[in-house]
Amino acid sequence: MSQPNSSHTPTLVTRDGAVLPDGWQLLNDADEASGDGPYVLGFERALRELDGLNDRCGVRIQPADDVRLLEPFLDKIALVEVAFPGFRDGRGYSTARILREDLGFTGIVRAVGDVLRDQLHHMLRCGFDEFVVKDADPAEAVAAAAKRFSVAYQGAADDRLPAWQRRLNAEAAVS
Amino acid sequence: MYVYDDFDHAFVADRNREFADQVQRRLNGEITEDQFKPLRLMNGLYLQLHAYMLRVAVPYGVLSSRQMRRFAHIARTYDRDFGHFTTRQNIQFNWIKLADTPKILEELAEVEMHALQTSGNCIRNTTTDQFAGAAKDEVADPRPFAEIIRQWSSNHPEFTFLPRKFKIAITGAFKDRAAIRVHDIGLHLKPTGFDVHVGGGMGRTPYLAPLIKTGLQPENLLSYLEACLRVYNRYGRRDNIYKARIKILVSALGAEEYSRQVEEEWARLDTTKVDAPLAVVDHFKSFFPDPAFKGGFDAEALDRAKTADAAFARWVRNNTHAHKRDDHVSVTISLKPVGLPPGDASSAQMDVMADAAEAYGYGELRVSHEQNIILPHVAKGDLYALYRDLDGSNLSTANVGKITDMIACPGLDYCSLANARSIPLAQDISQRFEDAQLTDTIGDLQIKISGCINACGHHHVGHIGILGVDKQGIEFYQILLGGRADENAALGVITGKGLPAEAVPAAIERVVRLYLDLRTSETERFIDTVTRLGRETFAEALHEPA
Repeated sequence: MSQPNSSHTPTLVTRDGAVLPDGWQLLNDADEASGDGPYVLGFERALRELDGLNDRCGVRIQPADDVRLLEPFLDKIALVEVAFPGFRDGRGYSTARILREDLGFTGIVRAVGDVLRDQLHHMLRCGFDEFVVKDADPAEAVAAAAKRFSVAYQGAADDRLPAWQRRLNAEAAVS
Repeated sequence: MYVYDDFDHAFVADRNREFADQVQRRLNGEITEDQFKPLRLMNGLYLQLHAYMLRVAVPYGVLSSRQMRRFAHIARTYDRDFGHFTTRQNIQFNWIKLADTPKILEELAEVEMHALQTSGNCIRNTTTDQFAGAAKDEVADPRPFAEIIRQWSSNHPEFTFLPRKFKIAITGAFKDRAAIRVHDIGLHLKPTGFDVHVGGGMGRTPYLAPLIKTGLQPENLLSYLEACLRVYNRYGRRDNIYKARIKILVSALGAEEYSRQVEEEWARLDTTKVDAPLAVVDHFKSFFPDPAFKGGFDAEALDRAKTADAAFARWVRNNTHAHKRDDHVSVTISLKPVGLPPGDASSAQMDVMADAAEAYGYGELRVSHEQNIILPHVAKGDLYALYRDLDGSNLSTANVGKITDMIACPGLDYCSLANARSIPLAQDISQRFEDAQLTDTIGDLQIKISGCINACGHHHVGHIGILGVDKQGIEFYQILLGGRADENAALGVITGKGLPAEAVPAAIERVVRLYLDLRTSETERFIDTVTRLGRETFAEALHEPA
């Protein structure tokens, strides 16, 4: 028996399957900035400090945080880390879709925390582009999630057309 | 009925492959049981008291004779030769081996069926009126919208890890036979659009769903549902499993505030990406045409048969429902024979029902949330032949809507959550009221039994509700009076102390006898008398010594 995937070291991987070093440094409320950054700020701290910052930074958003509060500062944000403290907590999926589809955020949306391969398909559809995933083979996990379903029934934050739209298109192509 | 196209087949095949892979990874130890559990639940696979249970989706309760035959085959091959039809209009197989599940799912996929989202904290099977497309009092057919909702909610990327399970019911008739106000979302299709009720439910804190929107246009249905779900997904409680249903959120916010938040979210959604336009709605409507109805009904022949065979006449009186065509009826096949578990059918009975649907019902069947099987369209001229075919297989019980047509959850005989047994109690009560004449004299009376507070047996909305509780290791039953899930929905109220199982049938009989004494006429139903005189009048009878 192999060990559970969740016991593997979390690894940063992109939606294209590239495994990257994580150069971002998390600054919680009381932490002093040290080194060159770039920094990821906790949500409350980000709301307090983003206005005065010159460099673009990252924000870590917890499930209960209202992502829409970031709206005035989006041009200051390069990365949003959406935290999944437990894989059963699905609030982060709404957070990501709101960021992408409602707020039009174009920076990086990253899933962190209890991220396992079975969530990746849904995360890809909700607009995440990076994952700090626990898996024996993170790149393969993302590739498998991307091609797991050949069809989608509903529109989301990715470019897949809902099945009804594809049916309409197929009909139009025939007539 | 809806027929899969390439998209649907591909989706189910992909999803089955994903599940087979998940099972394999569980067996390899790559995922823990804790991680596997929500994955297998999303595929309808429960671990019960004694074995795995597989719950197969019957989308909005509609199935073909071919699909019913496949259920018979699965019951015969992989289970103990029977299946259990549920209050969610689905079917459960109670004695399944984990190793057999991929093969069963394959066999289901061949007949356009699956077990997806029959469990787990996701959007479940949408339920509807069992007489949809047939009932005389129908305003609009809900089935195309139920199918649209089914597709939209299948593997929804945002709503697969909700705070808790989510159930949508839809009706398009004047009378509500889908119990929409005790669902998370209840949709009532009217000529002006949908009335939307949100936040109903049973369980340990029952609520009737308040109306939060009227006149929702069919082509905006999905985006509005998406807004409803998003507000719930973001703000529904996750700290306490018993407070995680949407009813708690709606109750805490108030219907007005919840509705305001939904409207705000809805206004911000890119609805063009979500909503199926009218052309697509028409595409789905095209799957639900009327069958090629038989004409030439001989009313005199039917009358002669009824005169000659009193049991047949009684069955016609109790088990048929008014059809939109005068020469047809909808027939309910009762799965509540006296003394047997409600909702169970053997593989042989399933085959008989499939045969009957082919011979007399244009190949179509329905599962009702009352756990019976319906042939929605039967020519009146075929009734006697149908009756005789059913009668040979213990499928002609003439008790639909009557006191012995009970809903009961699986209870402590199967379920790991239950505190008390439900099925044996239902059997005892049905034996008490076995007498056909007494049953008919009593008339419409719904008894609903749950073996625990989770209320799978709908006890809150039974005219008489029965709730099993555990008191220091002994099973007790609390009796509720005055509940109903129809268009005048109301929650039953607990009356007095719990009773031991052996005292329940007699207590119910005392209440029923009192009703017979007090009713103003034979047309005043039990629930009407309780409403008129108040529950207190009957509470005493429940608890007075025999």
